[in-house]
Amino acid sequence: MAENKQAKQPKVKEPKVKKEKKGMTIKTRRSLEGIMFITPWLIGTAIFFLFPLITSIRLSFSELTSMAGFEMEWNGIENYRYLFQQSTTYIPNFLAEVKDTLIDTPITLVFSLIIAMLVNRDIKGRGFFRTVFFLPVLLGTGYVMEVLLGSEMNGVITIPSGLLQAIGASFAELVTGFLSRITTVLWKSGVQIILFLAGLQGISASLYEASRVDGATEWENFWKITLPLVSPIILLNFVYTMIDSFTDSSNKIMSDIEHCFSNGALARGASMGWFYFAFTFLVCVIVLAVMSRLTFNQGER
Amino acid sequence: MSKKKEKKVKIKNGKVKKRFKFSRLLVLILVGCLVVFCAFPLVALICRAFMPLDELYVFPPRIFVRHPTLQNYKDLLTSLSSSTVPFSRYIFNSLWVTVVTVFCTIIVCSMGAYGMVKHKPIGAATVFTVVVAALGFSGHVTKIPSYMIVSSVGLMDSYAALIVPSVATAYNFFLMKQFCEQLPDSLLEAARIDGAKELRIFWTIVMPLLKPAWSTLCVLTFISSWNDSFSPLVYIHSDAMKTLPLAIQTISGGAGVVARSGTPAAAALLTTAPTIIIYLIMKGQVLQTMAYSGIKS
Repeated sequence: MAENKQAKQPKVKEPKVKKEKKGMTIKTRRSLEGIMFITPWLIGTAIFFLFPLITSIRLSFSELTSMAGFEMEWNGIENYRYLFQQSTTYIPNFLAEVKDTLIDTPITLVFSLIIAMLVNRDIKGRGFFRTVFFLPVLLGTGYVMEVLLGSEMNGVITIPSGLLQAIGASFAELVTGFLSRITTVLWKSGVQIILFLAGLQGISASLYEASRVDGATEWENFWKITLPLVSPIILLNFVYTMIDSFTDSSNKIMSDIEHCFSNGALARGASMGWFYFAFTFLVCVIVLAVMSRLTFNQGER
Repeated sequence: MSKKKEKKVKIKNGKVKKRFKFSRLLVLILVGCLVVFCAFPLVALICRAFMPLDELYVFPPRIFVRHPTLQNYKDLLTSLSSSTVPFSRYIFNSLWVTVVTVFCTIIVCSMGAYGMVKHKPIGAATVFTVVVAALGFSGHVTKIPSYMIVSSVGLMDSYAALIVPSVATAYNFFLMKQFCEQLPDSLLEAARIDGAKELRIFWTIVMPLLKPAWSTLCVLTFISSWNDSFSPLVYIHSDAMKTLPLAIQTISGGAGVVARSGTPAAAALLTTAPTIIIYLIMKGQVLQTMAYSGIKS
C-alpha cells in the first residue's frame, strides 16, 4: 500500500516523502508505536465486537427468513414498531431498569469508596476484611446468588412479621425495600471496593505527611488529596457499576432479550437489545464527557 | 512492622488519641456488621452444600445445617461419572481455558491501553469511542454473529473458540487505560533518553508499575471466565470439551428436580473454590502499594 501511494504521488513531493521515511518526526514515530501497541486489541475487537455489532443492527431492521443460512430480509422499522406500540412490557421494564440503575449507581459508589477507605486504614485484620468484602463477588455470578437473591431465601433476610405489624405496612414496605436494595448494593460492590483500594494504594503517603505537617485535618485531606487522586477510579467505577447494572442477567430487559434469542426470535431480540444498548451507550458517553473534565490525572504534568 | 509502630506513636498525642479511639471503635463496629453481611452468602452456601434433603425443604428456610452429610457430594460424583468423560477432564478444560484467557487478555489489553494513553496515535479518540460503545453491549447480543465467525473459521468445539473471542475485552481495556493515565510521563521519557526500546519500556517499566492494575484484572477475568457457562454452551458440542460450569449445569437438571436439589450447592462450592484460591493468591499483588515511591519528584 505504502509503495503504491509513493509511486502515485507527483514528483515534486518526492524529496519530502524520502525525508520522512529516513527520520520521522518524534510525533509520527510515537504515533506509529502507539498503533503497533493497540493493533492486537483492535483486531480482536473488530472481529468479535464490531462485526457482530453491525450484523445485529442489520438483524434488528430485518426478518430472519432462514435460521440455518442466517438469511435475513429487510423489513424496516417493523421490529421497533412492535416494541413501542404493541409490546406491553418493554417500555415499563425499560423505565424501571433505568430508574434502578440511576438509584443504585451513586449509592454503590459512595458506599464502596467509604468501605475502601475504612479498610485501607491501619486497622487490625484488614487483610481479613478485604477478603470478606470480596467474597460476594467470588460467589456472585454463580448459583448461590440466584438462590439467595431469589425467593427461596427471602424469608431469612426480611424482618419478622410481628415487627411488621407494629410499624405499619407502608413504612414496613419502605424498610424492606431499603433493606433489599442495601443487600444488593453491598453484595455487588466487591469489585468497586477492590478498584478503589488499588487507587487509594497509589496515593503516596508523603502527600498526606506533607499536608499533616501543614496542619490539614483529615476532612481536608479527603477533599484535597484523596478525592482528586482517586477520581480516575471513580470514573472507572461509575462506568463499571452502571454497565453492570444495565447488563445484569437478572434484570427484566436482559432476560427478555435472552428469552427471545433462545426461542429463535432473533430479530426481535436484536431490536430490543439495540434500543437498550444505544441508550446505555448514550448514558456512558454523557457520564464520560462530564466526568473526564472533573478527573485529575497525575501522570500528565 | 516498623511502619506500623511509627504510626501508632504518632496517634498517641493528647487530643488526637482520644478522638481516634472513639472513631476506631465506631469503624470496627461498622466494618464488623458489614463483614457478617458479606460473609453470609458463603456461610449459607457451605451449609447448603452439606444439608440433607429434608433440611433443604424446611420452612422457614434454615441457614445453618443441623445434620451435615456428604450425600450431596456423593450424588454429584455419581451423576457426573455416569457420563463417559471423567470429572477431571472438565476441571482441566476449565483451568486451561481460564488461564490462557487471563494471560492473553492482560497482555493485549495492557499493550493497547499503554499505546493509546502514552503514545496518543492518530485515531485514539475513535478507538476510545469504540471502547465506550463496546462497554455497554452485553455479550448475549453479539453472541450469535460471533458464533457465525467462529464456525466459519472452523474453530467450533475447540479451546480457541472459548479463548479468542474473550481476549480483546472493552472493559479490561478501559480499566487498564484508567490506571495507565496515572503513569508519569517523565519516567518513560527518562527511559527513552537512556535508549530503551519501546517494547523494553513496556516490559520493564510499564508492566511492573501497573502490577496492581493487572492483578486486579487477573482476578476479575479469572472469575468471569471460570464461571462462564454461556460461551461453552454456544461453542462446544462434544462432552469431552465441556467446561466445569456447563457440565454441572447439564447434570443439575433444572429447578424442578427434587431428588438432587442439594447437588447444585455442592457443585457451586466446588466451582467457587478455585476463584477463592486465586483471589487469596493475588490479593497481596492487587493491594500492593503502587510502586510510585521512587517516581515522585
